[in-house]
Amino acid sequence: MKAVAQLLNEMCSSGVIQNYALFGAAAQMRYTEPVATLDADVLVAVPQPDRLDVLDDIYAFCAARGYPPEGEAIRVGPWPTQFVPVFTPLTREAMDQAETADFDGVPFRVVQAVHLAVIALSVGRAKDFARILSLLESGSVTRQEIGLLAARHDLSAAWQQFETRFPHE
Amino acid sequence: MSDIRALLERQARWQKTRRALSWPEKIRMAERVRESVRQLRRPQRAEPDNPERTKP
Repeated sequence: MKAVAQLLNEMCSSGVIQNYALFGAAAQMRYTEPVATLDADVLVAVPQPDRLDVLDDIYAFCAARGYPPEGEAIRVGPWPTQFVPVFTPLTREAMDQAETADFDGVPFRVVQAVHLAVIALSVGRAKDFARILSLLESGSVTRQEIGLLAARHDLSAAWQQFETRFPHE
Repeated sequence: MSDIRALLERQARWQKTRRALSWPEKIRMAERVRESVRQLRRPQRAEPDNPERTKP
């Protein structure tokens, strides 16, 4: 994962991407117990988001450094890394407000717990609900914080459904 | 039954101590179990003599 952080920082400094933040299960582990996952998911802002081949420059940059494509991802060491251009105001905000963590001496931007929870809420699969519960249990985010952010991103109904299904004990 | 409950509660408490590990250490833990996870999630092939059953 350190190589993923180094690669992303290089991409930023060379201008291939404008910004990035790790999200998904690998980011979740910053706040919770370890969880099983196969991929590293990264939100990215690219200079020309309207291009059809929006990820081409990223793929070329990685290929030049010996990181080959693998399906929908790029393999960086043991991690198939998926680059996801920011696609909603929520994901844009999550990336912009990400925190810079230290990963074995390398700065690594990681989405905050509350944004991880609300992105999970917006996706709404069983494993996403498990992520929200795990973040709540870890104390890294509160129900109130999730509710407020969900409301700002038009996800109040989804949050109410979650609260009904998983009431606070 | 109460012994089992106590055992499970103790086990849950122990598992939660992993939350206190550093983030890089938790990531390395996830890296160590990745291959097992990949094999578990691999699509199963049906056995030719019994299409109802699958094998790894």
